[in-house]
Amino acid sequence: MPSSRCLLRLPHPPSSLLAAPIAPHTSTSLRHAAPFSASASQCMPAPAKKKGVTFGGPPARGTKALRIKKTVRQSTARPPAPGERRALRKRIVLSNTNALEVAGLRDATLDSLVDEAMVGKVVGLPGQVVDSLRVVEAFKVHQGWGLFRRPACLVRKETVEIGRVVAEAEEQKTTRRVVLCGERNSGKSVLLLQGLAGAFMRGWVVLNFPEAKDLTIGHTAYSPIPNTTPTQYAQRTYTANLLSQISKANASVLSALQITQSHDLPMPLQRNLTLDRLCELGARDPDIAWPIFQALWKELTAPGRPPVFMALDGLAHVMRLSAYLAPDTKPIHAHDLALVNHFVEYLSGQKQLGNGGVVMAAVSESNQPRTPALEHAPRRKQPESFLEHQLRQLKHWNPYVKGDERVIKALDGVEVLRLKGLSREEARGVMEYYAASGMLRNTVTEGFVSEKWSLAGQGIVGELERAAVRLRV
Amino acid sequence: MVLLLGVNFSEQRLVKRALETFYGIGPSVSTRIMARFSIHPTAKIRDLENKHITDLTAELTGMRIENDLRRQLRENITRLRDMGSYRGRRHAMGLPVRGQRTRTQIQTARKLNRIERRG
Repeated sequence: MPSSRCLLRLPHPPSSLLAAPIAPHTSTSLRHAAPFSASASQCMPAPAKKKGVTFGGPPARGTKALRIKKTVRQSTARPPAPGERRALRKRIVLSNTNALEVAGLRDATLDSLVDEAMVGKVVGLPGQVVDSLRVVEAFKVHQGWGLFRRPACLVRKETVEIGRVVAEAEEQKTTRRVVLCGERNSGKSVLLLQGLAGAFMRGWVVLNFPEAKDLTIGHTAYSPIPNTTPTQYAQRTYTANLLSQISKANASVLSALQITQSHDLPMPLQRNLTLDRLCELGARDPDIAWPIFQALWKELTAPGRPPVFMALDGLAHVMRLSAYLAPDTKPIHAHDLALVNHFVEYLSGQKQLGNGGVVMAAVSESNQPRTPALEHAPRRKQPESFLEHQLRQLKHWNPYVKGDERVIKALDGVEVLRLKGLSREEARGVMEYYAASGMLRNTVTEGFVSEKWSLAGQGIVGELERAAVRLRV
Repeated sequence: MVLLLGVNFSEQRLVKRALETFYGIGPSVSTRIMARFSIHPTAKIRDLENKHITDLTAELTGMRIENDLRRQLRENITRLRDMGSYRGRRHAMGLPVRGQRTRTQIQTARKLNRIERRG
């Protein structure tokens, strides 16, 4: 028989029997009240358990075993106002009061930018040109303008080439189309800036897209333009801002020009309205910015107007699909954005500037989006950008490589200016300028120049600046 | 503050996020709606024109969202239950519907599966 069953069968003894053996040890007074207890303390009720705290074992579900008070940091600083951090990030510093004034630094003139004798010399940018360049956002944050007393740049071989292109376009009233390529930090954006500076000095009308990325990453308002096939999209806020820049930067030129053409605009125009006032009208009201831009362009391309310089930095961003979506949720090709289309029409040579001019674009090597065609491109022996590759391939396009037809057409026949490192003479010139500014303490000798020139990947100008001025050991 | 389908949204709010607060509108639907009315992805409520707001309200009114969608969901579950299907029964019992194991890990089913499902 199993023991459990045996126990179950065991009859319970009557309570009188159990109490009987203990009772005789207790006093007679307690016998009826508490037959099990001998002392008063044992009679007291057990202390109440603390809620939520358990001893010897894991905590109950949902409760924390260890509670540590977090240190709360009390910030006394004022939080940045809206737009403050952006303003700080985009701040352009063009002067360093600690740098020395360079004795004998001459301002750039029209001649100095086309004169081969000036190659290797540093020239300052005239104050008015600096103001205009600042308005069109030609100075970039990462460039070293803030290291020296005043904005100045080196005249290099390519600067003279660009200067000649501009001069020829003015003389012959032709449209020159140039794409600047080259390694990272090789001075493409600064060369573009020199082109802009030359155009400002010549009294041209300048239109600059400082960052092509801003046009295509879907950060500004867009809307379809009715009656266009394929549908084009206007970016009203961006256009209004662009008009404001055009009006401020070219005020001296545009204020002398009045409207002569008839325009189909939503509001009537004053008869002797100047072109800078026309731009301001568009800048004030984004709703009419695009029609005003078109009106401005019609005026500028009319006979007898000054030549136009159009520039764009970061070309690869406008040579692909944009981040905007069409109503059918398909991505919009960057060339379908009205402003981009405007630029590309002139870059591709589809349209000509009536009074002559230059359309110039620079490739960015540090911020270049990947393009499907790039991945299909064959292995390249030397580092070159996708655009360069495409440009080289235009004549013998491999039919098995997937390429964007519109991009290929847009870049057909453009002049490509590939920037390489500075020559030793140019490097010496710029390093002497560093030394004269007090930013380089070493004596500029042949050996020193050679050393830095080699360190900078055979004279890549941005690296040269880094090696000589920024990284001072 | 801007009123969209009877809900007030602050000016600083992203349009995309504002749309996604409605039950039945997720990332893809909000993207589609915004593309339809040419509103850029980073637009905030304050950037919307009056035309956009009327368009959006009209679009949202015509869509099956919020209570309509919740009701449809409940109707679907009730239908399953009424015809006596296995799925209906599992819903009614608050157990997993699609053949998951019930030995452990059925918190979600316990929480959500019921005839009068919240949404």
